[in-house]
Order: sequence, then C-alpha cells, then structure tokens
Amino acid sequence: MTGRHSINAENLNAGYDTRDIVRAVSCSFGEGTFTGIIGPNGSGKTTLLKAFSRVIPSSGILELDGKAVAEYTPAELGMALGYVPQDEGRPFSYTVLQVVLMARYARTSRFAALAPADFTRCHRALEETGIAHLKDRSIRTLSGGEWQRVLIARALAQDTRILLLDEPTSHLDLSHQSDILSLMRSLAASGSTIIGVFHDLNMAALYCDRLIMIRNGEVVADDTPARVLTPDKIRDVYGADVVTSLHPATGRTFLMPLDTCGQTIAPDKNRNILVISGGGSGTDLLHFLSRKGYLLSAGILATTDTDYLTAKALDIPCIAVLPFSQIPAHSLEKLRTLLIRADRIVLSAHPVGTGNLPALLALREADPARIIVHLPEGHTFQSCDFAKGAAAAAYSDLCSAGAQCTGSFNGILGQLKKNTNNDQPPKE
Amino acid sequence: MTRTIPILLCMTAAAILTVVLCTFIGPAGFGIPAAGPGAADIIGAIRLPRVLAAFFVGASLAIAGAAMQALFRNPLADPYILGTSAGGALGASIAIVLLGGFFVPVFAWVGAVVAILIVWSIAGRQGVIPVETLLLTGIAVSFFFSALYSFLIAIAGQNAHQIIFWLMGGFWNASPSDAILSAAVIVPCGLLLFFMGRDLNALSLGEETAAHLGIDAAKARWAVLGGSTMLVAVAVSIAGSIGFIGLVTPHIVRMLLGPDNRVVIPASILAGGIILVLSDTLARTFFSDLPVGIITAFIGAPFFIWLIYQRGVVT
Repeated sequence: MTGRHSINAENLNAGYDTRDIVRAVSCSFGEGTFTGIIGPNGSGKTTLLKAFSRVIPSSGILELDGKAVAEYTPAELGMALGYVPQDEGRPFSYTVLQVVLMARYARTSRFAALAPADFTRCHRALEETGIAHLKDRSIRTLSGGEWQRVLIARALAQDTRILLLDEPTSHLDLSHQSDILSLMRSLAASGSTIIGVFHDLNMAALYCDRLIMIRNGEVVADDTPARVLTPDKIRDVYGADVVTSLHPATGRTFLMPLDTCGQTIAPDKNRNILVISGGGSGTDLLHFLSRKGYLLSAGILATTDTDYLTAKALDIPCIAVLPFSQIPAHSLEKLRTLLIRADRIVLSAHPVGTGNLPALLALREADPARIIVHLPEGHTFQSCDFAKGAAAAAYSDLCSAGAQCTGSFNGILGQLKKNTNNDQPPKE
Repeated sequence: MTRTIPILLCMTAAAILTVVLCTFIGPAGFGIPAAGPGAADIIGAIRLPRVLAAFFVGASLAIAGAAMQALFRNPLADPYILGTSAGGALGASIAIVLLGGFFVPVFAWVGAVVAILIVWSIAGRQGVIPVETLLLTGIAVSFFFSALYSFLIAIAGQNAHQIIFWLMGGFWNASPSDAILSAAVIVPCGLLLFFMGRDLNALSLGEETAAHLGIDAAKARWAVLGGSTMLVAVAVSIAGSIGFIGLVTPHIVRMLLGPDNRVVIPASILAGGIILVLSDTLARTFFSDLPVGIITAFIGAPFFIWLIYQRGVVT
C-alpha cells in the first residue's frame, strides 16, 4: 500500500431506523484522490456519504486515517472531515461570514473567542468560492447558488484533509460549476481526499479520477470513469439509453442520453433502408429513421466520420473504410449487395470528392424509383461537389432518372410510405 | 459587529436604571413614601423583591425562548413549547383545589418538570430523536395537561378565579426568597446557555450540520433543554405562565444585534428583564395590579404581528 487510506470502509451497512439503505459496501479512498459517487435517485448515495461522516449510524468497519470513526470525539471529527450538504435550512439571518466562521468552532475552545487567524482562513475560503463580496449579506437573501457556495466555503474553512460533497454543484451555473470542481481537483492534487455525489455524469467523468456506481445501496462498479460509464452499465443501473464517447477536446469520457421518446414500432413495408451519407450529413437522419423503427444499414463511411460514430452508437451495420483512401473493390461489392437487398435507398446529399465518387456512381445501378435523395434546404448539388462537376452531375442524373428529391425528414417519410410499380409483393 | 459591545453596555445601563426607578414607582407615586416605620418595609420587603423577581423571571423566559428558537430552528418557538406552562398550570391548580392554595410554587415547579420529563421519555424512546418529534410531543403533552387543569377549573367552584389569575401570571406574592431563588437559577443556567452559544448557532442550522462542524449535537441538545427547563420551571413556579416575553424578546434582540447566540443570550437576559419589570410596574401602578400576563400579551401580540410583517421573520 503506497498512499495512506483516508477512508476505509469494509462491509459497511447504514440506514435509518432498522432499514439498511447502504448494504455491504467495501471501498477505500486514498490521499490525493477525487472520487465521484453516482447512481439513480434513492440509490443510497447521500446515505453512504452521511455514514462516512457518522451522522447516520453504521455497522461494519469504518476508519478515518487508520482509526475507527467511532473513536473520534465530535471535535476531532470536525477537524478531520468537512461536509457540504445538498441544502440547509436558513431560519435565521446570519451573515455569510458568521456562517463560514462556524467552521472554526471545532478548533476553538468554547470559552475563547475566534482568533484573527480564524478570520483570515474564512476570508480565504470566501475568496476561493468567489463570494467575498457577499460576506456581510444575510444568508436569507442569497440565491440557491450563492448559498451553496457559502456551504462549500464553510467546509473549506474547516481545513480538513477529507471533504465530502453532496451534489456540490446542483444549484450552480456552468461557470461556477467548473470553478468549484476545478478547485476540488486542485485540492485533491495537493493531497486532500475528495468524495462527491454527482447527478451530472459528464461533470463527474470530467473531474473525478474514479467513479463508484451504486444501486440499491450496493456498489455495482468502482473504476475509472471510462470503465464505469459504459452504455451497458448506464442502461442497467439508470434504465436509460446513452451513447458514450471520448470527448475530442477534453479526452474524457462523455455521454449523451439517446432520445428514445417517440420511438415507434417497425413499419410494415419498406422496412429495410440503406442510408448513403458522409461528412456528418447522415447523423440526424440515422437517429430519425432509427427512432421511426426502420431497419437501417449505412455506407460507405470512413471510420473518422461522425456518421460512422452514429451508426456504431445505434448498432447500425455499416460499410466502413479507412479515411483518406480509395474505396476498395470489396467494399463497393458489399455496397452493390446492399443496394439490391434494401427496400429503399436514402441518399443524403453529402460532400463527394474523387475518393468517394465510385460509391455515388454505383447508385446508378439501382432502381431509381427506390432512391430518395435528401437535399436539405440551402444546399445544392454543386455545394456538395468536390470532384470537378462529376459529383453534381451524378446527383442530377439520379434525380432525372426518377429518384425522388426532398428537403425534409417528413418528405422522406412520405416517400417511404409510397409503393412503386416495381415493388414486389411481400414474401410470406 | 463593532456596535455589539456599545449596545450591550447601553442595555446594561438601561437595566440598572429600570430596576432602580421601578423600585421607587408605585401606586403612591414616585419617590420614597413619606417617612415612617413602613417606608423602608415597602421598598425593601415588597417592591425591591418584586422588581428583582420580575427582572430575573423575564430574563429566564427570554434566554430560554432564544435557546428554544435556535434549537428547534423555528423563530416561533417559545419557552413553554415542551409543556412547561401546561404542566406548571396543572400543578398549581392541584395545589389550589386540594390544598387551598398552599405550596402553589412547589406544585407548579413539579408540574412543569414532570411535563418535560414525560415529553423526553416519550420522544426519546427511539434513540436519536428528530427535534420535530420532540416539538410535536411537547404540543401533544401540553394539550393533555391543559385538558386536566381545565377540568379542575370546571370543578373548582370559587377557586376557579384563583386558578385563572394564576394562569395569567403575576408577581403579587413575590417575596425576597423568590428573588433569591430566581437569581440562583439564572446565574448557572445563564452561564451554561451563554457558553453553549456557538453550539446553538450550529444547531440552528441543523443537527447534522452541527455534527459536521465538530459539535457534540446530542450532548448540546440535552444541555440546552436541561438548562432551559430549569429556568422556565422556576419562572413558572414564581409567576405563573407569563406569555410573549419568551417569544418576542429574542426577536427584538436579533433585530438589534443579529442572530449570533453568543450575543443573543446575554442581551436577552437584559432585554427580557427590562421588559418584564416595565410591564409589571405598569400593571401594579396604573391598572390596580392586573395580572402582568395581560399587559405582556396586550402589547406583545400586536408588536409581534408588526414584527412578522415588517421583518419577514417567518420563513
């Protein structure tokens, strides 16, 4: 064991009255770490945090800095561990400074006044949380976000090695969220042990080194954000469909909920759709058609293409090629097979250069009546042409050969509901 | 912050002045009554003990009220909230009906303490008690006790008048021993609550918050309740249940000096004493010795309503 364990819990059970909300939790937290606790509503995140801080009785092993929590006097605990609650009642008009100064009670005799050093520390905490200008304001006049920063400032002024945060940014706007969480991360970098409960999984992934996912009071995953925030685990624990990816700017895992609202069952005809797109032109289209219940395939997409990532996220089979290279013959063969199999082909107008021109030309072999060209408003075939006119000509040829051209998703839907003369009767 | 000390000094001066002046005011007008063998007796044996008892009872009710409001995180809590007033009234009623008015203070004190003990034992059955449970138990026990003494009033016949006068509170029978007793209680209990000031501050934001700030919340709560109960039980035994002093005084103090209980507690001693001495002087001088509870409620209730609407005291 290299770093000391600030908090060590083994087989910890905790709850209210006789009902255990946290069950058999074993985990430990080393110095200089920032851990996020995540899980759905009512999963026991706050209860776990309060069990750590001893305001909820627990059974099992719970040690702070190697010493059983039960052996701490209240004042020792107040010097070892700071806690930021989700919210706190404000029945009396204390000033902001008065509330933050309460952080120093644990370090001061009840028969003595607070020392100048205590005031200095509290003023620094107010600076760090950006509320120095509010120090003489009555707490009852503060907004939710300002009050939350007062609670954070008070915990900072306790000067503890361990900080427990219960949704510390739930009332904060974006810039204050990142200010506070950056501050927490820098505290962790200087040796503090920070544990926070988070609802915003992206914020948790962005700032924490480690995530503990709990469900029904039990730990179901405890690892790096990238390993915890997988679509499978999220679906399993939260019951929500998400896509995850590494954010290109931060390099951290991020996730987006999938819009599964308005999901309809598969239509009874023209169910198999081949979407030809590229350069991100098909992202929304793939989501839209997938939500409408169509069985999709996609082609031909470079592995760096956003459309490719969308197809992967939606589990849509797709013909993938390496970026910036000629389309290999076997990929074109696959495309031809799909062109024959698909009930309808939706061609999303996308940038075509000499590299991907062969795919567009291959469409000439398909029945034009089964092709729908999606040309969004404001776009022209010329604006998609990066092949000295050959691409624009190919698009136009398809339309004059009988392909239907539409500017809207609903237009595509309308076309998909129509029959063509060449359609074969459904096979039994 | 910087004006706390000057205000406290002014209040101390005002308290001394009030006690001295009110000792020399009576139905006979201001000044030392005409020389004679009775003059020294009126001042020394009747007026001074009465003024001092009123001062200490007012102070007791005010700091107990401040402590209860902080503990229950509720600016509308009053010192009788856990049943002391109803318990004291029941004890006094029993003494009046059964013993013909002897031992009323003793029975009132016992009744107040018994009421609190019942509340504690009911509410404390499940180990950690939320203050809300304590509060509701106190209200329930109060109603039960008031049913009992109302029954005694109903069957008391001509004693009913005596019980009702006692319920409204007053200092007709204040003796030197009452002044000494109330002083003897307020010194230790006042010091206790003063040194619990920071615990009260933390508790007024929540018991969990107090624990997170390094306060022994359970111990602090019992110390505050114990000290307040002693103060209120003795006050009730001396003067009956005088309303509004304990509720309104802490609000006045907080308006002047802010909500820090390390300041509110000592300031409440001075303010509660001044207000009750003035009210009692008013009662005995101009209203032929009305129960002082009528005066405090008559002035206190409209003042409190004004306070609620002016300052937004209620959350």
